[in-house]
Amino acid sequence: MHIKIEHISKIEGYAGFIADIADGKIKKVRVDIKEGARLLEGILRDRNIYEVSHITARICGICPVVHTLASLKALEKALDIDVSPTTLLLRRLMMMGQIINSHALHLFFFSLSDFLGFNKDLAMVKQHSRRAREALAVRDFGNLLVEVIGGRSIHPVTPTIGGFLKLPDKRKLRHLFNISTKVLADAQRLAELFIGLKYPYFVRSSPYASLHNAKEYAFYDGLIKTPNDAKASPTDFMKIIKEYQPENSVVKRALYQGQPYMVGAISRLNNNHSQLNPHAKRLLKQAGLLLPSLNPFHNIPAQAVEVVHCVEETRELLKRTLHKSFDVNDIAEQKDLVETKLRSLKGTAQATAAVEAPRGALYYFYEFGGNGKVVNCNIITPTSQNMARLERDLEEYLPSLLGRMTTANVCDKNCQDKIKMLVRAYDPCLTCATH
Amino acid sequence: MVKNKKPIIAIVSLTCCEGCQVAILDLGARFLGLAEKITIGNFAFLEEEPTTQRYDIVFVEGSPITEENIARLKDLRQRSKYLVALGACAALGGIAEIKNYQDKHERLRYVYQNFEGINNPDIKPLSHYVAVDMEIPGCPINKEEFLQVAKNLIAGVPVKLPQRPVCYECQIKQNKCLLQEGLPCLGPIILGGCGAVCPSNSYSCDGCRGPLKDADPQNLNQQLSAQGFTQEEVRLILQRFGVADKIYPEPPTKI
Repeated sequence: MHIKIEHISKIEGYAGFIADIADGKIKKVRVDIKEGARLLEGILRDRNIYEVSHITARICGICPVVHTLASLKALEKALDIDVSPTTLLLRRLMMMGQIINSHALHLFFFSLSDFLGFNKDLAMVKQHSRRAREALAVRDFGNLLVEVIGGRSIHPVTPTIGGFLKLPDKRKLRHLFNISTKVLADAQRLAELFIGLKYPYFVRSSPYASLHNAKEYAFYDGLIKTPNDAKASPTDFMKIIKEYQPENSVVKRALYQGQPYMVGAISRLNNNHSQLNPHAKRLLKQAGLLLPSLNPFHNIPAQAVEVVHCVEETRELLKRTLHKSFDVNDIAEQKDLVETKLRSLKGTAQATAAVEAPRGALYYFYEFGGNGKVVNCNIITPTSQNMARLERDLEEYLPSLLGRMTTANVCDKNCQDKIKMLVRAYDPCLTCATH
Repeated sequence: MVKNKKPIIAIVSLTCCEGCQVAILDLGARFLGLAEKITIGNFAFLEEEPTTQRYDIVFVEGSPITEENIARLKDLRQRSKYLVALGACAALGGIAEIKNYQDKHERLRYVYQNFEGINNPDIKPLSHYVAVDMEIPGCPINKEEFLQVAKNLIAGVPVKLPQRPVCYECQIKQNKCLLQEGLPCLGPIILGGCGAVCPSNSYSCDGCRGPLKDADPQNLNQQLSAQGFTQEEVRLILQRFGVADKIYPEPPTKI
């Protein structure tokens, strides 16, 4: 028996699904990725460190902020450059905008129709117009947050090595704070909708990993935490995991201690739920999720809880930012500093950095020379880490779908819908995964 | 396009970051308003399955990289009355084109151990493969410009983007001139319509919307040389979105 889904819509990037089953045994399960290879790590070589973060932003139109910031963090670490407290605040705000806009898109536009039984979002939007307005308001807020600080919501312009080319207008930040009360209410209603949905029961054993930071629910910085409370620096973790390329695949996979593992919202929640902000914590309790959860479908309510957490966090960060007086030193007049650091380099400089992208931990490694040109580079995206786990999940989930089939040897619409639902629960981004 | 009937529109991605589709979704309620006036034939972000086979207008973002990409593009062309290239990848080549200026075989081997069977063509804009009726450039597209163009096309009104440089909008905004401040800004030779969003944020125009028609890079090049930029530095910037081969179709042996 051969199962083939030509194209799975409502994910980022182009992919299908194939499985081979013989004598009741599953032989092969594969997410069939049809993205072209843009060779990002290759083309970044011999390019200038001032421009590479602008190029890597283009890996993903949904999460360009995290690609920009992970790239800058790795460069700054290699150059031993500390950024100012204001820069940190503004970057963390951009991260919040990124998580909010990406999760809102995935939750409402990509995921919800699977549960409400629509195959056209526009029909769903019509029937649930109030819900749609709330989801759009939350997403717009995330976009505006990135735009006010980054200059543009997709492929932000202002972030640079050491800080920002231009600081945001405080009146616009105040406006964001003013509308955030209503957005928080919208986000809570959105989350209530998602924690009220019925998720398929599919519990399996799998390691999970996310950043962890003693000070806060980690997105921008931290150590990598895995089950049994093991923690490793991003540099070490990048060595612990093994990246490999299945034959004929443009997407590499990654294994942790020889096993597929999961990153993303549910992994963060598993590791860090005690650090959620109050409303998010209340919603988590209301959801009745037992953590750690080993059900990948719970990635969806986990994102919903995170949206609320991030709006709450945004309010706190905005308050702190508005109290600060912006200083010209926060604008990266750091080109001289970078040049000095480069000149003093003996050989090459290198570093690894990680941030939590909406879909999980994202790793950047750079090595560059004194001329400011990249020598080596490696980028490990959340979806390429999740891909091995997703394929294993599909393999383990498929028998229960086939068992329910009335006629043997057919994966009917219901079976195919369940496969797509599991794929979408991971919120995969195949343009990131391929890059 | 079509009178008395809602035109059928498709929005399709080849290989890219999909940021131009995201920009369209970012129109939010305004996109939903636009959607009232059309039939969506295919938009994978929102629809489970394509609903029709023939499209009045198809917007295509991304680069044709895989053989499947190229076949899909040609097929879309056959099934559509009007094809719009959306964004820098489709109109110019975009960032993936950087490898055209490098040893692309070495780049492939650097990234993949099992490189056999991975498509690695030179990156070309859509117009290399099929007839393109219109381009909406930018990385990403300017969603306001997209909305204007889309409204006009849906109403059957032909659209031409005004051939004005980025400097035009930059001056309207009364920005300080980055070029005069010594930065390598490509504004004078690049097609405006972006609202000069980069220079307005103290970031030099790096050409994502492609050159103006008949742009003469010579003046700018001399100015940049006088400001101390080497030809290599200028070339790297021109390569970023694939402007270099548009300006210098047959690169002079010595620029």
